[in-house]
Amino acid sequence: MPVIELNHISKRFGKFLAVNDVSFTVEQGEFFGFIGPNGAGKSTTMNMILNFIKRSGGEIKVLGKNVPEHDLEVKKRIGYVPSDVRFYPQLRVQDLIRYTLDFHHMKGDQAEIARYCDLFQIDVKKKFGNLSLGNKKKIALVCALVHHPELIIMDEPTNGLDPLMHARLFRILKEKQKQGVTIFLSSHNLKEVEDYCSKIAFIRSGKLIGIEDLAQMNKKVKIITLKGAHLPIEQMALIGATCIKKTDGEARFSYEKNLTQLFSTLSNLSETLDDVTVTNRDLEEQFMTMYEHQEGERL
Amino acid sequence: MTLFRLECKTHIKTLLIWIIVVAALTVGLVSLFPAMKDMGLDQMKSLPKDMMKAFNLSDLGALTTIKGYFGYEYQYVMIATGIFAAMLGTNALAREEAEGTIGYLYAQPISRISIVGWKMAAHSILYTLYWLISMVVAFFTCVLFKESGASVSGLFKDFVQLSFTGWIMGLTFLAVGFLLSAILSSNKSATSLSLGLVFLTFIFGVVGKMNDDFETLIFFSPVDAALPSSVFKDGIEWKYIVTDLVVIVVSALLSLWIYRRKDLKV
Repeated sequence: MPVIELNHISKRFGKFLAVNDVSFTVEQGEFFGFIGPNGAGKSTTMNMILNFIKRSGGEIKVLGKNVPEHDLEVKKRIGYVPSDVRFYPQLRVQDLIRYTLDFHHMKGDQAEIARYCDLFQIDVKKKFGNLSLGNKKKIALVCALVHHPELIIMDEPTNGLDPLMHARLFRILKEKQKQGVTIFLSSHNLKEVEDYCSKIAFIRSGKLIGIEDLAQMNKKVKIITLKGAHLPIEQMALIGATCIKKTDGEARFSYEKNLTQLFSTLSNLSETLDDVTVTNRDLEEQFMTMYEHQEGERL
Repeated sequence: MTLFRLECKTHIKTLLIWIIVVAALTVGLVSLFPAMKDMGLDQMKSLPKDMMKAFNLSDLGALTTIKGYFGYEYQYVMIATGIFAAMLGTNALAREEAEGTIGYLYAQPISRISIVGWKMAAHSILYTLYWLISMVVAFFTCVLFKESGASVSGLFKDFVQLSFTGWIMGLTFLAVGFLLSAILSSNKSATSLSLGLVFLTFIFGVVGKMNDDFETLIFFSPVDAALPSSVFKDGIEWKYIVTDLVVIVVSALLSLWIYRRKDLKV
């Protein structure tokens, strides 16, 4: 069952088109990554999903319900972690958790809350305004989890978290995913997206430029880096390798064809080269290729 | 109800500060009455009549009674009360947007209409509490310092009427402030807007009183409709109260309508 369905949504701020005809679907239980450079329209898209801002066009369904028509019903089943956590500074952490539960008309599982607080090393007696950026983020995470949401939407959730807390957060999120919870993650940290997400949507200048299944995407694409005084660009092109970057003494190629042919060619060329590296394409490579290619087209 | 509790908790300190300051001011001003009533007011008689009218001093003889003296002095507290109510309103929604706390609220299962509704309810209760306590303090202070022969029951009746008109005045400024708050996306200008709103409408009242051609302007002056000197003298002027009630209802409905359509500042 789709948990998030975006159908040709767009958002206009005056003359500026921040999100332009974006459509994609997030299925139940998916760990979905949403990536793009700064100002690409990630937060605007999320704000429309959450009904923080009204869409200019298109249709949004969350948990099978139209938004904003069923906003309240949907919000009861969503947990949200903002990128910039600005909760009430005068309230103590325990009050913020209490208020969050009260808004959901829930008493909350005290043992579970204690477990989260212990795991994230949260002092519930402290006032929110006195906490550091990382600790504020932890409170937002706990507040997004305490009411057992079916969908967790997170905007840069690991900003300010130390590596230990980072690992603990994703351990909890993986646990939640196993229980059928859908996770929608927007992040600049491509490593964490690659490590945990099963599907990724790429957005740039308000337009969706691709959706990839990570399990399928990168294994079949190889990145070849050749170093040497005379780079065999033409020979590589003959076997179907695409040059993605060339500098003095170094060239990078992407290759999706027969590996035997690749290694045979590289073996023949090895005497003229100083170094050869063949790796699976990682998300960063994919991201850079996608966005640099688009940038090139734009220029 | 959760938002109502959250609002009350957030503003309780401000409320207490205002109550304490206004109570101290009231006691301080009224305690001067026994000394003031024995002072000659002859120098003031030389002031132009219109000016005396503008400052609600047309009847100098009344200043020798507690009702007359209180009626004159307390008009400045009424202006301060109007500013307090307007500031409660103008900060109600805009402050959350400026400080970013609205993001937390929007993520909770609560509709925009409920946000406005519960905030209006909480702020109205806070203002009502402030005004009731201020009136109780003012009444007992007046009883304590009144001239011999002044009737306590008469004073009580006048204070009941003043409590009502002052309450409506504050709610009017609160409602107009709320409307401004629904339009604004930052509370940076909230204080100056509140001051401007109260002083501008107060001036409308002054001009309306000084020049009969502009008498209609008094309808746009909630402070003037609730001035203790007028209420003690003429009782409740229902035409002004009805105008205030219309302003309250229209402002509340417009606030709801605007806020429902508003985008979160991102």
